Amino acid sequence: MDALPVATLLVEIIRFWGGLGILTGQVLRETFKGKIYWKLVLEQIYQVGYRSLPLILITSGSIGMVMALQFGLGLEKFGGKLYVPKLVAATILREIGPMFTSLMFAARIGAGMASEIGSMMVTQQIDAIRALGTSPIKKIVIPRVLACLFALPVLVAFANIIGNLGSLLVGATELNLDPHFFYLKIMSTASIDDYLSGFGKTFFFAIFVSLPSCYFGLNVKNGAKEVGIATTKAVVVSSILILVGDFFLSKVFWMIAKWV
Amino acid sequence: MGVIDVIHFKKSFGKKVIHQDVTFSVQKGECLGLIGGSGTGKSVILRSLIGLEKPDSGRVIIDGIDITQMTEPQLLEIRKKVAYAFQNGALFDSMTVFENLAYPLREHFHYSEKEIHERVLSSLAEFGLEGNENIYPGSLSGGMQKRVGLVRAMMMNPQIILYDEPTAGLDPFNTRKIQDLILRLKEKGVTSILVTHDMPTADAVCDKMAMILNGRIEAQGTLSQLDQDSLGVITKFIAGEEL
Repeated sequence: MDALPVATLLVEIIRFWGGLGILTGQVLRETFKGKIYWKLVLEQIYQVGYRSLPLILITSGSIGMVMALQFGLGLEKFGGKLYVPKLVAATILREIGPMFTSLMFAARIGAGMASEIGSMMVTQQIDAIRALGTSPIKKIVIPRVLACLFALPVLVAFANIIGNLGSLLVGATELNLDPHFFYLKIMSTASIDDYLSGFGKTFFFAIFVSLPSCYFGLNVKNGAKEVGIATTKAVVVSSILILVGDFFLSKVFWMIAKWV
Repeated sequence: MGVIDVIHFKKSFGKKVIHQDVTFSVQKGECLGLIGGSGTGKSVILRSLIGLEKPDSGRVIIDGIDITQMTEPQLLEIRKKVAYAFQNGALFDSMTVFENLAYPLREHFHYSEKEIHERVLSSLAEFGLEGNENIYPGSLSGGMQKRVGLVRAMMMNPQIILYDEPTAGLDPFNTRKIQDLILRLKEKGVTSILVTHDMPTADAVCDKMAMILNGRIEAQGTLSQLDQDSLGVITKFIAGEEL
């Protein structure tokens, strides 16, 4: 790679973090000052939460089933099949549930937000919001951020349940484990620490999806091509932030659990 | 001092200098026609008058208040007095025509829903748009979108209206409708700036004209003053001659 693309990439990264910082500041300032459009927040919760539910349930159910099958077939060789419920439950609650749900959420919601806001930029609707004496941060960004903060943890809670049910189904049908035993093992393994660790991350993941997606949408200048680019960037950046952030957040939550 | 004063306005985008030194003034109740070739930055000036763009230097004064250094929350107050009619209407495509027109009323006034309903319907009727209240903007023609955009701009009874090429791409019938609308608002004492390439419309509604060329106001004056200047740039511009 020659110097020019590296320099361009660096400038773009600095611009992104600077722009995201400014947007975050505006969102914080305007959230705590003046009114919040709760009707718009509810509309967004419906869009980002309720309408994402089928996708999240199908994905989490499938992942639970695949995990149970893979763990079961692998551990069977060593006579460890009985550990499948424990392993699957802990993995789903701590990592897979929150992370996969957030990644699917980023793909669906991040792309949708960036393209919707980008199209509004191109058609001057964002300018019209400003010209009519209102704030696009209050009308567009804050409702979406709050909706993600409310909806993603709930989606993850559903994903955890359906993921474990999927694993139970495969455990009973493919691994010949007693469903009652499977259920009891899940319940005895799943500690509140596991649950809180996974659940706590979702608030950060909601921010990792909503803010960059709004940022990329708001920075669309010209035409359909830039809307497409913004959409791609929103999904890529949100996914990277979730995956990289997951490592650091896991460490933080482990440390908190040890400390408490 | 006028209701709108633009003083030594300079603006660049990257290395491209759009305005080198633009100065003009609009008095209360006047309509200024801002004309010039494509890409001369007429819309940039218009956007700067409500703070959608910031000048690199110079001052923009609205009703005696310098808005140049204002922050976004401060500008929200100015934008209640100054309406902007976008070139394509810029209607919110997720809202019906009714909701688009009700938007500024719901945001800035304490009207009941019944009052909002009455005001929106009477505005639609006044400008010949009745029966379209439940339609989404995507189903309206370009001319109708522009007219709804104009009506939305005037819902807050602004003191100043900025028109960005309101008749571009319209047929003579819709052009006439827009001209009538602008004239009716002018009769109510609204100060306005009209950015346009449509010289018959400018002739019909403007009290004076200003022409932007090479980043400056190259000529300005009343229509009669400019008519006498047969060798001037406006005459050449209208005749389609190279400037």
